[in-house]
Amino acid sequence: MRFFIEKARKGDIMKPKTNKTTGTKKKSVPVRKRKSFAEGVKGFFKAVGNEIKSFFTIFVDGSWRTKLSYVIFGFGNLVLGQIARALFFLAFEALFFFYTIKSGWARILKLGNLKELTEQVEFVRLFNKDIHVELLLSIFSVLLVVVCIVVWRNSFHGSYRNDKLLKEGRKIPRSAFDKGVINFIKAVGNEIKSFFVIFVKGSWRTKLSYVIFGFGNLVCGQIARAALFLAFEASFIYYIINFGLAWILKLDNLGDIGSHEEYDPIFDTYVRVNGDNSFKILLYGVLSVLLCIVCIVVWRMSFHGSYENDKLLEEGKKIPKFKDDLHDIVDSKFHRTLLTVPAIGITMFTVFPIIFMILVAFTNYDGAHDGYSGLFTWTGWANFMELFNTKTSNLGYAFVHILLWTLVWAVLATFSNYFLGMLLALLINKKGIKLKKMWRSLFVMTIAVPQFISLLYMSKLFAKNGLINMLLIKWGFLEFPFDFWANTTASRILVVVINIWVGVPYLMLIATGILMNIPEDLYESARIDGANPFQQYMKITLPYMLFITGPYLLTSFIGNINNFNVIYLLAGGAEANSNLLTSGGSASDVDLLITWLFKISMGTESNYKLASVIGILIFMVVSVISVIGFNLMPSNKNEEDYQ
Amino acid sequence: MKKRITKFIALAMALVMVLALAGCGKGNNNKNNNNNPTSSPDTPSDLSALAGTYDITVWVSESAGVADLTKTQIADFCKDNPGIVINAKVEGVTEAESASQMIASVEDGADLYCFAQDQLVRLVQADALAKLGTATQQKITELNDKTSVQAATVGGVMYCYPMTSDNGYFMFYDKSVIPENHLDSLEDLIADCEKAGKMFSMELTTSAWYNAAFFFATGCKSEWTIDSEGKITGVDDNFNSDNGVIALKGMQKLLKSKAFNSSSAGSDFSAAVPSAIVVSGTWSTAAVKEALGDNYAATDLPSFTVDGKTYHLGSYSGCKLIGVKPQNDTKKSAVLQQLALYLSNEKCQLERFKLVGWGPSNLNAQKNADVQADVALAALAKQAEYAVPQPQIHGSWWDIAKVYAVSAKDANTDEELKKALETYEATIKGLFEMSVNEKEAWTVIGSMNGDTNWTTDIPMVCKNDVWYSEAIKFVAGDAFKVRQGKSWDVNIGSDGKAGGPNFDVTEDGYGFVVFTYDKATNTGVIKLEKSSDVYGFSVIGTINGDTWSKDLTMEIQPDGSWLTKEAYELKAGDEFKARQGLGWDVSYGNGGDNYKVETAGTYYIKLTTDNKIELIAK
Repeated sequence: MRFFIEKARKGDIMKPKTNKTTGTKKKSVPVRKRKSFAEGVKGFFKAVGNEIKSFFTIFVDGSWRTKLSYVIFGFGNLVLGQIARALFFLAFEALFFFYTIKSGWARILKLGNLKELTEQVEFVRLFNKDIHVELLLSIFSVLLVVVCIVVWRNSFHGSYRNDKLLKEGRKIPRSAFDKGVINFIKAVGNEIKSFFVIFVKGSWRTKLSYVIFGFGNLVCGQIARAALFLAFEASFIYYIINFGLAWILKLDNLGDIGSHEEYDPIFDTYVRVNGDNSFKILLYGVLSVLLCIVCIVVWRMSFHGSYENDKLLEEGKKIPKFKDDLHDIVDSKFHRTLLTVPAIGITMFTVFPIIFMILVAFTNYDGAHDGYSGLFTWTGWANFMELFNTKTSNLGYAFVHILLWTLVWAVLATFSNYFLGMLLALLINKKGIKLKKMWRSLFVMTIAVPQFISLLYMSKLFAKNGLINMLLIKWGFLEFPFDFWANTTASRILVVVINIWVGVPYLMLIATGILMNIPEDLYESARIDGANPFQQYMKITLPYMLFITGPYLLTSFIGNINNFNVIYLLAGGAEANSNLLTSGGSASDVDLLITWLFKISMGTESNYKLASVIGILIFMVVSVISVIGFNLMPSNKNEEDYQ
Repeated sequence: MKKRITKFIALAMALVMVLALAGCGKGNNNKNNNNNPTSSPDTPSDLSALAGTYDITVWVSESAGVADLTKTQIADFCKDNPGIVINAKVEGVTEAESASQMIASVEDGADLYCFAQDQLVRLVQADALAKLGTATQQKITELNDKTSVQAATVGGVMYCYPMTSDNGYFMFYDKSVIPENHLDSLEDLIADCEKAGKMFSMELTTSAWYNAAFFFATGCKSEWTIDSEGKITGVDDNFNSDNGVIALKGMQKLLKSKAFNSSSAGSDFSAAVPSAIVVSGTWSTAAVKEALGDNYAATDLPSFTVDGKTYHLGSYSGCKLIGVKPQNDTKKSAVLQQLALYLSNEKCQLERFKLVGWGPSNLNAQKNADVQADVALAALAKQAEYAVPQPQIHGSWWDIAKVYAVSAKDANTDEELKKALETYEATIKGLFEMSVNEKEAWTVIGSMNGDTNWTTDIPMVCKNDVWYSEAIKFVAGDAFKVRQGKSWDVNIGSDGKAGGPNFDVTEDGYGFVVFTYDKATNTGVIKLEKSSDVYGFSVIGTINGDTWSKDLTMEIQPDGSWLTKEAYELKAGDEFKARQGLGWDVSYGNGGDNYKVETAGTYYIKLTTDNKIELIAK
């Protein structure tokens, strides 16, 4: 805090914009003179000439890495450990050649006969406009070639730049991702190395520990440890042989024989004979695979543990007994003890369901193939194709439309709450406002009522035959009721406004706490320097708030993207938008991706596979926003600023 | 979503159990085929053989009192059948919800549950209903009205028991607002509501079940063909027609009215902005009576006029049904079937009528004086003349069909109405959209297997650009063709040309259709063979000094067995197996082992229909 105040005194924060002396960071930008046309052309040719020249010089001058980068995009980066860049280059090259050879080249050739091309009648509906599909794809193919040339240029230029850096003896820049990957590869290498090294160097005890888990412990008198190891090995082998292996083997096509019913003439009744159940196969199969991974980890622990004992014996040290282990658990290894339960919980209830959901997206799991009645099986990328195949269904259009509204909603819902909540807190905090406690409690009242009750109540209130309409008619504003939930604009405004009503109190509470924490002398010195209230807000209050509530802002934005409650409870029964007609779950105007997903999976077709695909896409949207948002956040960027 | 979470918790538990070596096996094949004739009754009515204690879960309507009534009825059933003890957990679940919950996880669902008819196909598809026994089917058919029997049947198989025959809609109205002479005209009714400042509730934009009334008025239909597994195989739908446009125009009168409210709740009569008319069904009777008191009245739906012609609104008439979840245990299954039969009998139906006013499907119960005097049921009966018995419909239809009403609400021209119906039709057709693989696949279609109408496509598989069918049993005189993508757009006849004549079969017995197609010329070659590289068997082994390298072709015989083309000289100790499709996925020898020749000789090798190898001396 002292730092902050000092900084403020120095004038970094509080000085109003009008004070030019603070603009120390401003670089002097060279003023661009208007060039004449002839100069422009000349410059252009010169640049092209340079480009062509560099193409050859780099090839001649460059190292073998650079030369290979002409053929394999990003090769120079890969060899020097710039993994992220190299991956981008390689992926681009692979996709480009795959696409161009498969269909792009043919499409480019088609451009020669423009007349025939524009006569094609297939349209894609994009933002309510009909566009020639083929023409669009042909133009796209040409653009792709241009982009590829640019990327190609960057590939060998990038490699050449690395050459120069090496020559100058400077470090090759690597991103955090690159470092992570390199460390990972190193760790895996070490692991493999140690596997063999331990086997060769280890004692006979250690060697046997490769087969009999905990053997090394047993011989060295660590009975309890050895018993745990052995018990694990025995139960693992028993499970895998009796159940696990069967589940894993069936994973390849998720079951062969379905269930059927047999007639029993004596009781005049049908009896079900169970067959394979794809759902269970997928579930237990994946669980068994996870168990195998756990087993490998335990196996590693077994021979590493024995090797450690070898070393201890060599050094003539005492081998720790079970009592020491127990002591360690609550002492030097207490962090492990504490983290065990959460780690198991996260694996079981978060990681495993996510793996399962992702796998479902690659099957045909739906109402008609639910494992119990009809088997489902792997279908590869078919569900993703279905979602974006604009020719056969409206799904792609609906997805883009709903995604856009979801983002608009998230921005509106998050920032309206944020700024209004802050404003409310400022108002109540202001000197001279009486009965502060009363005002605060008044607004907090909405929190006291469970959210779903107030939301359902609001939904009924604004129904066509609800109270609001009655009052509007009574007071003569309307002659006949207005259907709020069936009108696009009205329903969208309503959900945002009602969301403000239920969300603002939380923000008000948070903001009140933070605002009271801002040192009063900051404002004082600002006032002395002549800053008006708005300037004070922009230079002191807002930066302070943003710094502290940045992570909150991001999480609430993500939360709003997936704000199921507000939308579903308010407008779950709203009529569908006729443009968003899709079989198995037509969305309404205010539906978010998450409520649409719910309609699809719980709808008439129980289309779990598609819901899973949408879930993955939501996850991608959310994670991209999270990563970008988190990196832009002041609380992340300038971590020390306010300490 | 919640269901899923519980599933995972259950899973976690399961894993713990598995780790504790109490793991569960693959499938619980509790096949209890009780074939002991001494203990089995001759007639299903004698239930003494079913004596025992059964724990069951029952889901019934959440309407007040129904659960308690069901409990009493189950107790009565036990009283009537001494020896049978049923510990029933009766829970109130709405009829729409019960189907969704069953489908989410059949195994966790109730043993006996009630649902509305529109859910039947989904439930059959999800294997959530056990078929009715032959004798029971007969009984149900005798005891109940035709509509309800049809309602319980999917693809010719009865899957559940009709409980009511009242799942249709008609018009409740407020006598104080609506004059009796206006009841026949939709236009007058709308005007009355607007004049009185009251609403006209009909669930048009949020439910296809109600808005289809306008289409039935103009004679449109949407009929779906469904096989006995609940799979939808086709649709005959003419909503997208001139009559459909008339229907939408009629619907627009109400949609565009200021008095329109898309709702079907009986409580609308007492809402803040009250309705004067609510189109709903018998389940709303109690709520309407309470709201309207002396002004309570009900009648059939009105007519609308478009271009001078009058159309009386149609409706769906359907049923509430009760079904049994498929069981692994024969006795429990039998008890549940008997209980369901009991719960749907005359006595129980009348008891429910008295409690909640549900209209019986049982023919005798329908003749009951109280039933005949009921105002709501009378209105339903009046509407019955115009009602369409609700057929089994693709689940997605309900979702797709409600949307044209939304479009019609905003539409101002005939073109817009037509476009809405076109979108509707395209989406419906999209339900049958085939994948690229299916579109390119060839099938055999013809009069084989008694399929005289050429309705069933027999699939073919492709290997090295040649298409092979499975073994087809032909009778001399059968004819067939091959076609692509199950459509007649691309088909090849016996002369190998597109659209050529049928391939005529001249002799009885099994055969394989083998087909090669030349895309460039749109021609192909059809052959009818006795052996097949994909489905055919061949013998391989140490025959003729060979060392398991050469397959000796076998031919399929008229009885379905396989025989080598020629006789081979076999030495004692020779080993061989018969295998399918030149691979080892399916092979037979002496059981799973190789077949060993015991006595030398010259033999034909035969693979019998029960997959045993026999040697037949030449």
